[in-house]
Amino acid sequence: MVTREDVENIALLSKLFVPEEELDSLTQSMQEIIDFADEINKAPSSDEAFDNINNLSNVFREDEVVESYNSEEILKNAPEQAENHFLVRNRE
Amino acid sequence: MGTIAKIHEMLVSKQCSCAELTKSYLDEIEKSNGELNAYVNVTGDEALKTAEKVDKKIASGEEIGMLEGVPMTLKDNLSTKGVETTCCSKILTGYKPIYNATVWDILQSQNSVMLGKTNMDEFAMGSSCETSYFGGATNPFNTKHVSGGSSGGVASAVGANIAAYGLGSDTGGSIRQPASFCGIVGLKPTYGSVSRYGLIAYASSLDQIGPITKSVEDASIVFDAISKYDDKDSTSKGFSGDTYSSLNNDIKGMKIGIAREYLDGVRDDVKEAVLNAAEVYKSLGAEIVYFDLPALKFALPVYYIIACAEASSNLGRYDGIRYGYKTEHYNGTHDMICRTRSEGFGEEVKRRILLGTYVLSAGYYDAYYKKAQNLRGTIVKAFNEAFTHCDVILAPTVPMTAFEMGRAVSDPIETYLTDICTVPVNIAGLPGVSVPCGFNAKGMPIGMQLIGKSFGEAEILNAAYKYQQAAGENFKDTKWGVKL
Repeated sequence: MVTREDVENIALLSKLFVPEEELDSLTQSMQEIIDFADEINKAPSSDEAFDNINNLSNVFREDEVVESYNSEEILKNAPEQAENHFLVRNRE
Repeated sequence: MGTIAKIHEMLVSKQCSCAELTKSYLDEIEKSNGELNAYVNVTGDEALKTAEKVDKKIASGEEIGMLEGVPMTLKDNLSTKGVETTCCSKILTGYKPIYNATVWDILQSQNSVMLGKTNMDEFAMGSSCETSYFGGATNPFNTKHVSGGSSGGVASAVGANIAAYGLGSDTGGSIRQPASFCGIVGLKPTYGSVSRYGLIAYASSLDQIGPITKSVEDASIVFDAISKYDDKDSTSKGFSGDTYSSLNNDIKGMKIGIAREYLDGVRDDVKEAVLNAAEVYKSLGAEIVYFDLPALKFALPVYYIIACAEASSNLGRYDGIRYGYKTEHYNGTHDMICRTRSEGFGEEVKRRILLGTYVLSAGYYDAYYKKAQNLRGTIVKAFNEAFTHCDVILAPTVPMTAFEMGRAVSDPIETYLTDICTVPVNIAGLPGVSVPCGFNAKGMPIGMQLIGKSFGEAEILNAAYKYQQAAGENFKDTKWGVKL
């Protein structure tokens, strides 16, 4: 059972604000989706391990210094920047 | 002959210059994009610059590659250096990547002419293209209907001949489903065969980039070009060999499997078209084998649990600090991040982040996420077992044809059900290609899907190519765009 409190808590963890007037409809819609997801608990329990598809293994390169981006380029997309840094927020 | 080969021949034989060809594509985009809404960003100047480069090469007698000078498009979640890449989300408006996706690096180095970036469901979350911040792309067969999604813009553009081909991404059907809805070909490659570097992540263990094209031959050409090993993607494997040289192989004796579960709940007109295709295969000497795949019953909830869990983690990066949209008024860091995300994400994206956070949270992790991962293992095993009975699996791509605009928005669960035939392939990391196989009474295209073993692209494209040769009448052109 998904409650209003659950949705408020999950929203907080997700760093999303849910307006008070949307809380009830969102709780209901979450409940419907969770009911649908609950289908899987009708499946016979299995301990089939799944950690990887197609036997892929992680690819690591040699630990060598390679060319990367300069900070000017990296900062190009920042909504706000100051002194060659990302600006998180202004001081109050 | 496919569209790509035709364009190549036109350029090499100097029937037209690449600049002329590119201009005619741009003119057609100008004329029809208002109604199709396929492109969200047209990059005409860049396209013409590349075209001139190709023309110079041709004029100087240099040989050009098959994809060189061919006008194409990229889904807007593929990073293009210096060209806005938004995932059709407000939260990424204005974002211009400082690097290229590897697939675009490959194609750009071959002088591919990119006409622009195409529409998609926001962050690829949707099955109708309508969750796009820019509104949905429409279907070239009937613009009152959806293009499908999430790569709806690419499918609409290719179906309407305002791009020769395009690249999309497929997490739960996002290449195959819109290709099916728009009457064209869409290939979702094996997980690991095409580098995901520069594809803005939705669900990393399911995402895969692939071609959307007019013909099977074109899909093979593009796949062979982009399926290269890449050390920038930790799950990259590349594809050894090619698919093109075996396209026309005889399929006599090929075992084509039909899992009964794939036909459950599928609309009659779709089922009939797929079963007709099975008859075509029989006439080509293939053997049809029926079997059961009961694990498929759980594929859809497994998919939504895993995809949303991964999305909730992947989309944690949008915080208004490093790129994209940032809220104007806020009170402290937490408030700034929450406001940015609440204002920047659309409804469906928020819903999936919340669901993903829920299934990963303490107390629910075992019942949902862990259980879904276990079932993922069961589904992988079931497919492996199925491929001991057959070489490829034939199934519908979507249980229905393209529905009318506006319908998907009202009921999330009903919309999720459209993905029922496509998600198993992503869960198991397998390749699948959607191919047109008929039309319903209203003239909307029906697609069928050929599913292969891991890295079995050559086999499914071979089977698809033979079908296109035998049943070419199902590959119908639309009234739109450039006529070659």
